[in-house]
Amino acid sequence: MPTNQREVSRRIADELAECGIGLVASLPDDWIADLIKTLEGDDRFLHVPVNREESAVGLCSGTFFSPLRSAALMGASGMLTCIYAVTKINYTYEIPMFFLVSMRGAMGDTAKYQYANGLYFQKVLDSIDLPYRLIESADQLGEIPRAYRHARIYNRPSAVILSRDVLRGEA
Amino acid sequence: MNLRDCFAYMVERWTDQLVVTSAGHSSGTWWDLTRDRDRVFYLTASMSLSSMFASGIAAGNPGVGVWAFSGDGAFVMNPGMLFVERRMNLPNLTHFLISNRCYGSTEEVEIPFSEHADYAALARAAGIERAYSFNDLDAFKSAFDEAVLAPGHSFIVLDVEKTGTETRTGAMDGPEVKFRFGRHVEKITDSAIFNVS
Repeated sequence: MPTNQREVSRRIADELAECGIGLVASLPDDWIADLIKTLEGDDRFLHVPVNREESAVGLCSGTFFSPLRSAALMGASGMLTCIYAVTKINYTYEIPMFFLVSMRGAMGDTAKYQYANGLYFQKVLDSIDLPYRLIESADQLGEIPRAYRHARIYNRPSAVILSRDVLRGEA
Repeated sequence: MNLRDCFAYMVERWTDQLVVTSAGHSSGTWWDLTRDRDRVFYLTASMSLSSMFASGIAAGNPGVGVWAFSGDGAFVMNPGMLFVERRMNLPNLTHFLISNRCYGSTEEVEIPFSEHADYAALARAAGIERAYSFNDLDAFKSAFDEAVLAPGHSFIVLDVEKTGTETRTGAMDGPEVKFRFGRHVEKITDSAIFNVS
């Protein structure tokens, strides 16, 4: 593991803590595996591994009705499976939630089975008017609190999408 | 067991718990019996996620009991919820599975293979120790204190008959449900939910 990868994971954890986030629901993608381990070992967070990404939507939406702030961490494929839950829960009831997502399928991803995400993921988010920030270098990680707070302001979900190079500590 | 009779008894025993209902008969029947717009979140359009939604409420409000209703039509879409519930093991969460072996809000179309399903056994297999199943109202009443009111996460299957009719939830748009429920949570927990960035 590149040294910088752990540093980036810690930096993301710090940014989430800066948001006041205390619960992270996750389902792994290999690019975020180190981040998940970092969060699991960080006492500032209750880490809840889910076995279906939509469950993270339900869980994080429920925490809105409490002082506990939350985030859902997953791969792009996982977030694509959440469109039903997001539109039915977060859009119908106007409940904010925050996604952290790995940008699978973009240039640099060598996994052929991910390429559809590169083609369609951001277009799908655009089609449901879900605002997101694409982070392609570590010096943009300070955008995480801004994106999180945007969801709280307009009462719908927002997302931060993390590139491979950022998550690998190479950018 | 008759769903309405079962819910009527639960309403009698209902004190300060927050309630999350799901698509299907649980939302309409609970609304019809209570007309409550503050202590109940009618999550009517998100099949299989009501117990996860309720888990989020319970995790963030550890001093408040939360009752979650789901239907078996929703449950079979996401039985993995049981593993998440077991992992969280929230002592203030009670999950009621309304098992009528059909999709209640879609003209009670049969759930395929439901005759083979033992939902309480599934919960126990997921590691949930306090898993119960009732198909008789008197038995449910007798066990209510232990199954529902005793501290600790529990999963309770209520095996009910089909109703033959659909009872609809009261007319409320989503934001009204959110604000009324959220304001109630603010009141009982003395915490701020809205206008917090």
